[in-house]
Amino acid sequence: MSPKKLRAAAVSFLNARPLTAGLDASPRVELILAEPSRCAAMLESGEVDLALLPVAALAGKDYEIAPGIAIGADGPVQTVLLVGEQSPAIWDEVYLDTASRTSQVLARLVLAERGLHPAFTPMSADEGVPRAVGTKGALVIGDRAFDAKKSQILDLGREWTALTQLPMVFALWAARPGALTPEDVQELARAAQHGLGIRTEIAQGFARERGGDPERYRRYLTHRIRYGLGPHELVGLETFLDRAAKLGLLPETKLRFADDHVRTRRVRRQVSLDGALSRGAEGERLDADEAELLDERASVLDLGLAADARRRVLHPEGVVTYIVSRNVNYTNVCTTACHFCAFYRPRGHKEAYVLSREQLTRKIDETVALGGIEILLQGGLHPELGIEWYEDLFRWVKQGWPTINLHALSPEEIWHIARTSDLDLGTTIDRLVAAGLDSIPGGGAEVLDDEVRRRIAPLKCSTDEWLAVMKVAHQKGLRSTATMMFGVGEESRHRVNHLIRLRELQDETRGFTAFICWPFQPENTRLAPGDGSAQAYLRTNALSRLVLDNVENLQASWVTMGGGVAQAALHMGANDFGSVMIEENVVSAAGTTFQMDSEEVERHIKDAGFRVARRNMRYERVGGELSA
Amino acid sequence: MISTLASRALERDGLGPVRDRVLAGERLADADALRLLESADLAALGALANHVREARHGDLTFYNRNVHLNPTNVCVASCKFCSFARLDDQVASEGYTMKLEDAVERVLARKPLGITEVHIVSGLHPDLPWEYYTELLRRIRAGWPELAIKAFTAVEIHFFARKFGKSYEQVLTELRAAGLDTLPGGGAEIFAPRVRRKICDDKATADEWLEVHRTAHRLGMRSNATMLYGHIERLDERVDHMRRLRELQDQTHGFQVFIPLAFHPEHNMIGKAFPKPTGYDALRTLAVARLYLDNFEHVKAYWVSLGERLAQTSLAFGVDDVDGTVLEERIYHMAGSDVPQALSEPDLHRLIRAAGRVPAERDSLYRVLRVHDGGAAPEHAGRQVSA
Repeated sequence: MSPKKLRAAAVSFLNARPLTAGLDASPRVELILAEPSRCAAMLESGEVDLALLPVAALAGKDYEIAPGIAIGADGPVQTVLLVGEQSPAIWDEVYLDTASRTSQVLARLVLAERGLHPAFTPMSADEGVPRAVGTKGALVIGDRAFDAKKSQILDLGREWTALTQLPMVFALWAARPGALTPEDVQELARAAQHGLGIRTEIAQGFARERGGDPERYRRYLTHRIRYGLGPHELVGLETFLDRAAKLGLLPETKLRFADDHVRTRRVRRQVSLDGALSRGAEGERLDADEAELLDERASVLDLGLAADARRRVLHPEGVVTYIVSRNVNYTNVCTTACHFCAFYRPRGHKEAYVLSREQLTRKIDETVALGGIEILLQGGLHPELGIEWYEDLFRWVKQGWPTINLHALSPEEIWHIARTSDLDLGTTIDRLVAAGLDSIPGGGAEVLDDEVRRRIAPLKCSTDEWLAVMKVAHQKGLRSTATMMFGVGEESRHRVNHLIRLRELQDETRGFTAFICWPFQPENTRLAPGDGSAQAYLRTNALSRLVLDNVENLQASWVTMGGGVAQAALHMGANDFGSVMIEENVVSAAGTTFQMDSEEVERHIKDAGFRVARRNMRYERVGGELSA
Repeated sequence: MISTLASRALERDGLGPVRDRVLAGERLADADALRLLESADLAALGALANHVREARHGDLTFYNRNVHLNPTNVCVASCKFCSFARLDDQVASEGYTMKLEDAVERVLARKPLGITEVHIVSGLHPDLPWEYYTELLRRIRAGWPELAIKAFTAVEIHFFARKFGKSYEQVLTELRAAGLDTLPGGGAEIFAPRVRRKICDDKATADEWLEVHRTAHRLGMRSNATMLYGHIERLDERVDHMRRLRELQDQTHGFQVFIPLAFHPEHNMIGKAFPKPTGYDALRTLAVARLYLDNFEHVKAYWVSLGERLAQTSLAFGVDDVDGTVLEERIYHMAGSDVPQALSEPDLHRLIRAAGRVPAERDSLYRVLRVHDGGAAPEHAGRQVSA
């Protein structure tokens, strides 16, 4: 007998289809289509266990959210509109479409922020929109909004983002407490991954059903709607619920996630802070309990002093190294759609690119001319590029520039190539090495703890998969770096897990040459005043030096933190200043970026009291010590 | 108390005796300050400065809600580090001089924002009459009686004295009668004559700068002190600068805060030859200032100059004040600062709290108005950024 299916309610709106299309034939989930407000009612009454729920319906409830997935917008959304003939400033009455409470609340919030307080009358959009004349306005949501033809249109997605600088989350998968198993969560993620991949086809189907331009629908699905529930979206969601509660529009709500109740907490051993600090400073191996205690309780200076003591032992000559390398992003087409990434574009987007050989030639020639000895080649997960494309590319690079180090493909990309080419990891890596791959960058690690990964990058490889690539690569003689991007809402134990997983693999393979960490960078075009990440960065940097006792080098991240904080990092455990950045696209697409040429890198190193040397990827000095 | 790790590191660096003096609350000699500046052990230096900072202020980190007003950038002085000053107020040269009523209105318009202090500094304008300055203060005072007015650097006071044939005391007394509360610390640059000759030959000398502050203190006014570092000066000239301040402070106790200011190189005459001092330089300078200036209650990191990340980092290096919300800053922005134009109060709180400190709003005289040791900032403050 097959297990009982989970009953799930969802809307039939176009924007929901990428999340629901993959559930049509699901063995785990039975789908029932209804209007947003009806979805909420069915979940409330227990008719269904799971619903694609308008977020206002979360308010005051103890529903559990499926992590990682939502329907939202970051700017204009096109399908949640206030419409009328005259400016909203003179409206005295607004007809609120009864189909969605979320949009009603959003409409009232946005008008209130503009100092506007018209009367609100609940009414279906079919009735309300025709009556929105003179001093009347109407809310219209969903697919109907595609046809809105009024002289005044206020896009509530755009208004929200202008108001808060945050994305708006309209709906997400929410379940009755305890109803969702980890397998169900996985099934929803699988369906989303499938549906996001066929957005073009969904748009075409929708156009056949109701008329209209399929390209317009495709753009709506790929440009307007965002399907991630990442750190920014969570802040957006919390802000929305918070503001609505302050205005008395919704009861107060604390968000709960479906995986919260399956967490297992290790019982922590009692350890002393001073003991852990001095053991760390003396190079003894810290266990997870000690590392967590340090992460939570040690002062930034004590952590820094202990890490500095280690750095003095590991690198006693007081030399700080750097490399001249160029970061080349061969494509920005990506299917992963990580919520924290501002770089990727979906296939077919007007800004999507794959670099041509001419572009690559120019970039590599410029690099060599600037004394560069390495190309860091990374890109999105392009669905159409198989291993042959990479083999050709690598052979071509090595033929043209035989001495350049090809530092290429993060574990995520290697998995992607293996999958699209139907190969196992070992064969994939063998073939890439035969074609010219020299070493592997440690990107895409984010936080190597699946509790965190599921939430911020549900479509990315798991911790085990990431480490598996590194292990195979190390066993085949490749060297790699390792990274951590923290500050994505994780806890101390997650960061410590990350470091300890790396340390375990390093004990086995000795393949990591260096570690680098940085905090999650706030988003594109957004001024992020009050960025409080510098001390968190210095703490994590120092902790890494103490926990990763078997990784020789620690890079300071001036690209994300600026030269000054990176100099402080050199006095708190780091011994390397990374790379001169000839080009970097990914972090800079997400706002803050600092630029330094080699002269400026060397000035920072020397000014901080160190001597300078250039290195290669294996951390061998090249060209001798440059200056005292 | 400092940690065993810090104590050991200082011992290793040969700074054991300095450490002992600091822990005993004794005064550091000029040579000690120089040793510390040259020590190249940033974490240990930080630990020592942090000890002094926490002994004085615990975790409290001060800020205020302030607005800047720069009525004119027309200036007869030709300081080589300046990106703000213009020779005249022609549009082509980006020079400007605010009409009196506009300048007043700019300040009074901020009344709904809960600001407690206006910071007014200007170029040395060749033609503006004395009444412009007194009237400016008088009208602001009349329109907003409870606002603290911190205005005119010692260089401006000296300029007024010369131009209008008054003594420092007369200038200060008349400005006070018009509404002046305190003096800002600008114009100090580096006191050493060698440096002053090269970078700001034609404005108040070190002695004149100090004399203005001495006079202000004698009249019962409080003032601040700055140091512009990271250009042509040597480390011993920084120590010399701080020594002169410490000596005057011993006599008057009128200084509230010491503010080292990093030289910004863009759009001025010496920027090409001297790049912006690095963050390392900022941190060690702040830390040494905290240790050497034992008679200064506060050391400020001006976030507009350092950027938010470095300002936050400095809270572990002796700093207890991050300036304020700073609406309308022009001077550093004209020298290439790319930080936001203002920080809202919640933003400042976030920055301070993320460093494990406790935000404390102060007034112009460093009286604590409110310690934010829990809960969110007042609702009205959140809108300042868009103002």
